[in-house]
Amino acid sequence: MTTRILAVEDDERIRTAVRLALEDEGWVVDEAASGEEGVIQFARQPADVVLIDIMLPGIDGFELCRSIRRTSDVPIVMVTARADTHDVVAGLEAGADDYLTKPFAPKELSARIRALLRRARPANPAHPRLVFGDLEIIPDEGKVLRAGEELHLTKTEFRLLCELAQNPGRVFSREQLLDHVWGYGYFGDGRLVDVHIRRLRTKVEADAANPRHVVTVRGLGYRLQP
Amino acid sequence: MRSWRRVFFGLRSRILLTFGLGSLGLSVFLALATYSFTRSNLVDVRESNAIEQAYDSARRVGVDLRSTPANVQSVIDRLGSSRPLLFYRGTWTAGDARFSSGQVPDALLTAVIDESRPTMMRFSVDDELVLAVGVPLEEVGGVYFEFASFDDVQSTLRSVGFALIFATGITTLVGIVLGAISASRAVRPLTAASQAAQALAGGRLDTRLEATDDPDLEALTRSFNDMATALQERVERDARFTSDVSHELRSPLMTLSASVEVMKARREEMPERAQAALDLLVADVARFQGLVEDLLEISRFDAGAIRLNEEELLVGEFVRQAVAASSLARTPVAVSPAADPMIIKGDRRRLARVIANLVDNGRIHGGAEVEVAVFVPDDDASTGLVWITVEDHGPGVPTEERTLIFERFARGGVAGRRGGSEGAGLGLALVDEHVKLHRGRVWVENRHDGSEGSCFVIELPAEVLR
Repeated sequence: MTTRILAVEDDERIRTAVRLALEDEGWVVDEAASGEEGVIQFARQPADVVLIDIMLPGIDGFELCRSIRRTSDVPIVMVTARADTHDVVAGLEAGADDYLTKPFAPKELSARIRALLRRARPANPAHPRLVFGDLEIIPDEGKVLRAGEELHLTKTEFRLLCELAQNPGRVFSREQLLDHVWGYGYFGDGRLVDVHIRRLRTKVEADAANPRHVVTVRGLGYRLQP
Repeated sequence: MRSWRRVFFGLRSRILLTFGLGSLGLSVFLALATYSFTRSNLVDVRESNAIEQAYDSARRVGVDLRSTPANVQSVIDRLGSSRPLLFYRGTWTAGDARFSSGQVPDALLTAVIDESRPTMMRFSVDDELVLAVGVPLEEVGGVYFEFASFDDVQSTLRSVGFALIFATGITTLVGIVLGAISASRAVRPLTAASQAAQALAGGRLDTRLEATDDPDLEALTRSFNDMATALQERVERDARFTSDVSHELRSPLMTLSASVEVMKARREEMPERAQAALDLLVADVARFQGLVEDLLEISRFDAGAIRLNEEELLVGEFVRQAVAASSLARTPVAVSPAADPMIIKGDRRRLARVIANLVDNGRIHGGAEVEVAVFVPDDDASTGLVWITVEDHGPGVPTEERTLIFERFARGGVAGRRGGSEGAGLGLALVDEHVKLHRGRVWVENRHDGSEGSCFVIELPAEVLR
C-alpha cells in the first residue's frame, strides 16, 4: 500500500522541492497551494500524513488543522516560523501531532513522517483489552470506550494512552513519552507531551479540569490510574 | 589643571561656593553696618550725657564757690556727682582719690586751663576707660573736670560684636546648607539624565526622562527623550531588518536544501565534475542554513524576544546528552563527583546549542577532537557554580583576542585563522548571549593540563540536588 502525503504550502518552489524530496522516499505526494485547496484536496483524496504550513493566505494553517480534525484522525505535521512562539502550542492545540521549524532539512521531515506512520499503526499490544475504571482500551482495534461509548482519539493520542496504559500506575517522564511516542531523544519539545495530554484529557476524562485517569505527578511526569 | 578644575569646580561645588561666599559677604556687611551704627549711637548718647552732666555740675560748683569760696572740699562733696576734680586758685581738689590731677593728660589740661576751652577726652585710668569732660569756670576763675565711666559702653560694644560674629557664622552656615540643597536640586535632573543615559546604553531602549513643568529643564528633557526615541527606532529598525532578511531567506533556503537533497540521492548517476560541484553545493547550503538560523536567533536576542523554557537539569546528564547530539557525538564527558548531583536551571535546547557550538568550534579550529568536562570550581559546592569546559588541541587563542572572538563576525587575526570555511562567525557570539541569558559567563583560557590548545569555560549558577 502506498503512503500518501498531502503537502499544503503556498510557496510553489518549496512545495515542488519538498514533493521531489518526499517522492524519493517512495511516498506519493499531493500538493495544495492554499488552505481552501487543502480542504478540498483532503476531502477528495484522504492522505496518510498531512504537512501544513501555518502561514497560509486565506484559511490559515490552524483553521485547516481544525477543519481536518473534525473528520479525521490523520497525523498532521505543521511547519512554523519559530519554535519559541505561541504558534507551536496553538498549532498543537488545533490538532497537529508534531511540528517543524522552517527551514528544515528534508531528512528531518521524512524522519518525522516515518515516526508518525509507525505511531499510526500501533505496536503489538501486550493485552487485548485494558480496563481503567470506566475506561476501556482495545489496542488491536484502536478503540477506546468510556462507559461503553466509543471515543474519537487521534492516532497520536491513542498511542500516548496505550503507552501510559502498558504500565498502569507507573510514572512516565516527558522524555520517556517523547522517546516512546514521538521518537525524539533528550532534546524533544516537552510541550508536545503537555498539549497532547491536555487534548487526551478533554476526551477521556469526565471533567478535564480535575483528571481522574491521566494524572500529573509534579516534577516527574504523568501516569494513568483507574 | 583640568582635573583640579573638575574636582573643585563642578556644578555642585560652584553652586555651593556661590551660596557660601554670598551669604558670608552679605552677613559680614550687615554685621559691620550694625556694629558701627550701634557703636556711634551708644558713644553719642554717652558723650552727650556726660557733657550735660559736667556742665550741670560745673554750673553748681560755680554758684557754690561764689558764695563760699574758702570751703572747696565741701563744695565738691556736696555735688553728689561721682568723680569730680576741681582746679581752683592753684590747688586741685578731687572727689575720688583715683581721679587726681596726675591722671589728666596734658593735652586736656592745656586745652581747658590754658586756652579756657571746654574739652572732652577719652583715656584709661587704672585699666578703666573713662570720658573726661573739662569745663572752665569763667566767673570764679577755675576749671572743673568730671570723669564718666566708659567701660560699660565698651563691654556692651564687645557683646554686640560677639553676637554679630556669631550671627555671621550662623548665616554663613545656613547659606552653605541652602547652597547644598539647591546644588543637589540643580544637579538632580542631571543625575536623572545620566541614569537614563546609562539605562539606554545598557539596552533598556524604552527609558525616558519624566516630563517636567520646569521650563528650563523641559528643553533638556524633550531633546533627551527625542534622542532616545530616535535611537530606539533606529535600533528596532536594524533588528527588524536583520529579522526580516533572515525570514525572507528561509523560503529560498528551504527550496535549496530540499532540492540539494534530491540531487544528493542521485549523486552516483552524475559525472565526476558534477559530483564535485554538488559536494560544494551541499556543504555551502548547510553552512548557509546554519548562518540564517544564527542570524534569526541573534535578531531575536536584539529584539529581546527570547523566552527561555527553563527547567531543572542534572548538569552531568545534560552535558552528556548535549555532547551525544553534537557533531562529535563520541566525545567523552568527564563529570567530577562533586558536579554529579548538581542541577542547573535552563532551557535545555538552547543550552544544548551552546555546547554543540563549542564542540563545533573545537572540531573546526582545534584539531578535530575535543574533551568535555563538568566540575565544580575548587570542588567547593558552596560557591553555587558549575563549570563546563570544552578543550581542544588547536593553536589556542592569543590573550589579546580572547574577548574579540565572542563578538559577531569577529574580524582580524582571529577571523583570519579561525574563520576557515565552516565557521559562520556567529556561533561564539550566540554562545555568549545564551550563557548570559542563563545568568552565567563564558570565556576562553589555556588548556588546564598545560599542553597546547584552548579551553572554553562556561560558568553557570547551580545547586545541589536535594
